[in-house]
Amino acid sequence: MHQLIEVTFGGITQGAVYCVIAVGLSLVYGTARVLNFAHGSLYTTGGYLCWLLTAGYFGLPLWAGILVLIPILFLIGVAIERVIVRPLRAGPNWKTTIMMATLGLAFLLDNLFQTLFGAVPLMIPPFSGGTVEILGTTIATYRVWMLAIAVGIVVGLEVFLSATLFGQAVRAVAQDMQGATQVGIDVNRIFAFTFGLSVILTGLAGVLLAPIYLVSPLGGWAPFLKAFVIVVFGGLGSTRGAMIAAFILALIEAFVVFYLGPSWTLPVWLLTLLVVLMIRPMGLLGKWEA
Amino acid sequence: MARAFASSSVSLSGTGMPPAWAGKWFWVAVALLALAGALIDDSYARHILILCFLWAIVAASWDLVIGYAGIMNYGQLVFFAFGAYVSGFLAAKLGVTPLVAMAIAAAATGLIGLLVGLPCLRLRGEYVALFTFAVHLAMPPLIQQGRDLGLGGNTGLLGIPPVNLFGYVIGPLDKLGWFYLTLAVAAVSIYLIYFVLLRSRLGHAFVALRDSEGFARTLGVDDFKYKLLAFAISAVFAGLAGALYAHYTTVVTPKILGNEFFLMAMVMLAIGGMGRFPGVLIGAFLVIIGNELLRGFDTYRLIVLGAAVVVTVLLLPNGLVSLAERMGWGKRAGTQVGST
Repeated sequence: MHQLIEVTFGGITQGAVYCVIAVGLSLVYGTARVLNFAHGSLYTTGGYLCWLLTAGYFGLPLWAGILVLIPILFLIGVAIERVIVRPLRAGPNWKTTIMMATLGLAFLLDNLFQTLFGAVPLMIPPFSGGTVEILGTTIATYRVWMLAIAVGIVVGLEVFLSATLFGQAVRAVAQDMQGATQVGIDVNRIFAFTFGLSVILTGLAGVLLAPIYLVSPLGGWAPFLKAFVIVVFGGLGSTRGAMIAAFILALIEAFVVFYLGPSWTLPVWLLTLLVVLMIRPMGLLGKWEA
Repeated sequence: MARAFASSSVSLSGTGMPPAWAGKWFWVAVALLALAGALIDDSYARHILILCFLWAIVAASWDLVIGYAGIMNYGQLVFFAFGAYVSGFLAAKLGVTPLVAMAIAAAATGLIGLLVGLPCLRLRGEYVALFTFAVHLAMPPLIQQGRDLGLGGNTGLLGIPPVNLFGYVIGPLDKLGWFYLTLAVAAVSIYLIYFVLLRSRLGHAFVALRDSEGFARTLGVDDFKYKLLAFAISAVFAGLAGALYAHYTTVVTPKILGNEFFLMAMVMLAIGGMGRFPGVLIGAFLVIIGNELLRGFDTYRLIVLGAAVVVTVLLLPNGLVSLAERMGWGKRAGTQVGST
């Protein structure tokens, strides 16, 4: 019983962080209609940059490191939009060319990290080491924090998108690019902004999961694919759908790891994706043609 | 109907379809390469060219599905690996004659192509890309699971016997034998892809679905059937290349699904230009030879390859071939650049 609660709680915390990555992916896909294949590598980038800022090189305390990290991540996102995505968008076959270019960028980043930091995973120590007792089961405090922070980020994003003028502009572009242009929204600025925001989200998720999964050059691919499955499962452009899907899928994963072993995670996610696509290709809360 | 499609009155310009006259030059190039193989008496150079031929098959099969059928399949190396593992397993563990094993491997890979293609019928552009890439990433752990079957896990499948051509054994050190075998298989495969399949009704259906799916369907092109065929056919050729590769190197490891091979194959397509014969073939030669030249840079090599993808896509969204078209060469091959 205790083990069951532990596995369930592990799944829930995991799901919250996956949700942050997935929302970042869905944000860019929803507004700019671009599938950013470097999303997973940017997750890793968050981990490595945080390590450099704190334990690795600059020795900042974690909160200060993250404060410095957020603007850097934002600028990286904006730079990707300006340098790679925007020029390609003007050309023919832009969906294909952007996918290839961002996949190239992903490999570039992966191999850069491999060269700079080596293949040995790096460690960012958790900021809280103790344990708490929940329902009679001992759970690491860090996991509770992780859940709180991740849910906080997603809720904050939801509030930003619905309550602020800028957030509403983002949603307007997502719904109807042409219409948004006509009412005077600078679509390119929104694209750059959503890219920045999406890199912040995935980068912070990388930092949050670093104490558990460590930071390694190829470590971003699994979260990226999982985020994709979540986005598909939840329904494109639906934050709430993504949240529900993230928790369901993370729970499935937690039990798969517990009963079958970690090497089955990716095949099981793939199988889930297949089943979802067969039964409900528009996702839980999605509709066709976002 | 089929004849009407094949008649020369149908304009092929702008589709990237290889024109009939290019077939002649293709065989001239093959003959020159065959001659070069005899003249170059250096086993390292021959080895590089053998790799070029094998990868040219993979690149052409990938081009068929991405460039001509317009399906963003990122799982082509799964087919390559599958062919390699099936042929290697049959020959090394069950003692099947290599030639038969290779044929079975190619056919089995075609079935896997169907299987991977099936879910993709319900998906669109980016979704296909991610799904197929997920299949690619899920493969190595599955191969690990197959260790009990004799797939060798991380160490790989060892002791794959050399090809036995009706009594004549082409050992791994017989570079000249391998040179001609791979050249012959590559030449025939590539000819079949570009000059037989693509110029037939099938190829026209691919291009029609790529350029205007809705319109093609209105005309009665069965998109499910042709998309599945695109997957299956390209898988057969990729599987064949994988099987050849397995018997040539005598070892298959999960490394063939690693970062490096995927990147190399992608650079071939990006540099050469997808859906523009002979773009990806030139890409395959450039990448394999360039990769060998970069060996000295060791770890930086993969960074350079990654950067090469980004830079070529940014500067030449349609590959080197588009550069040639822009400068006015090969006008007859189709002049529509930059408007799809």
